[in-house]
Amino acid sequence: MASAYYEFYRGSSIGMALTDSLDELITSGAITPQLAMKVLQQFDKSLADTMVKQVKTKTTLKGHLRTYRLCDDVWTFIIKNPTFKMESNDMVNASRIKIIACKNGDAIEAGKK
Amino acid sequence: MSFALPARQITFGRNNQQQQPYQFQQPQQIPSSGGLALPSGGTYQNTQPSTNSLTLPGPSPLSNSYTQPQTLSKLPSPPATVPAAASNAVAGPSTPPASQVPATPAALTLEQQHITAVEGIVPTLQNIVATVNLDCRLDLKTIALHARNAEYNPKRFAAVIMRIRDPKTTALIFASGKMVVTGAKSEDDSRLASRKYARIVQKLGFDAKFSEFKIQNIVGSCDVKFPIRLEGLAYSHGQFSSYEPELFPGLIYRMIKPKVVLLIFVSGKIVLTGAKVREEIYTAFNTIYTVLCEFRKP
Repeated sequence: MASAYYEFYRGSSIGMALTDSLDELITSGAITPQLAMKVLQQFDKSLADTMVKQVKTKTTLKGHLRTYRLCDDVWTFIIKNPTFKMESNDMVNASRIKIIACKNGDAIEAGKK
Repeated sequence: MSFALPARQITFGRNNQQQQPYQFQQPQQIPSSGGLALPSGGTYQNTQPSTNSLTLPGPSPLSNSYTQPQTLSKLPSPPATVPAAASNAVAGPSTPPASQVPATPAALTLEQQHITAVEGIVPTLQNIVATVNLDCRLDLKTIALHARNAEYNPKRFAAVIMRIRDPKTTALIFASGKMVVTGAKSEDDSRLASRKYARIVQKLGFDAKFSEFKIQNIVGSCDVKFPIRLEGLAYSHGQFSSYEPELFPGLIYRMIKPKVVLLIFVSGKIVLTGAKVREEIYTAFNTIYTVLCEFRKP
């Protein structure tokens, strides 16, 4: 079932930190690469679940949709000049962002039916 | 296009006698401004998207100078041999034409019929659907992954849905290499868009050709600007009409010649669809206009 989870959270800063630590442990001989893989898979699962169940923070964004794509149930959006409005009413700007949206949790199961 | 009309009406209502200067400008203007809605007979053929349809210092002295809004008559048929534009310029101010019975378009060529579009109302094209055969098998997933603005969800629909911004259109691209392009507002746009899609597919490494381009449907719409008694129309044209206000508020009029379907609404708004060429839309509108006048709400 571990394969049901996307691996892209490994690219986040927390995922990178974990990968670096695991690398170090492997190099020093403290763990085996197989164990490291297991950890990373668990990381994929845990983060995905946490995102669904515990993260309630919201933000709204406005911008110009430059490009979009849907393939394999993954949406990709490239947005020019987005403005994020955080819950605390902070505004954050960027020149260009890429949003990758995947199915998660129940939606994956629903999609299989 | 429709924006131009009110302005013209006012001008000519007042300046009927002062048209001489316009008259001389007319012939020169027409070739230059391809976007003019009415005066140039070739508008619909020079299908440059007419962005400059408001360029009307010297509008055609058509319609208002002599047609009463109420008369059902079409404009007089210009002599068939004279180029339409020229004949308009001459005929407009000088000769108050004898109003003709609407059912005599025989003397008019198709082209001229459009020029004499009743009351200066010309249907606007809203959508053109065309098909193209790229003549090569396509791997839709490759296309979806590499092209921009593409959607591919084989569980829902077995085609890639792709959009471009200019001309603003949508294409359905099938694995067989067949493609449907929708949303264009003119024939040229439709063709240009289709070529662009074919080029996109080509750039992704497929041996796509551009063959069998065909316009399958043209949709137009316009507003006759008076309310219509749909019941009366449905009753007297029962053979062509279907009017079920509980199902749909418009009257569905299936014209036989040209084979065009019209949705006619109480408000006077008309949608024309099912045409393969632009002329069919125009002819259908001219035909229905006389009928509609008959069922104008008092």
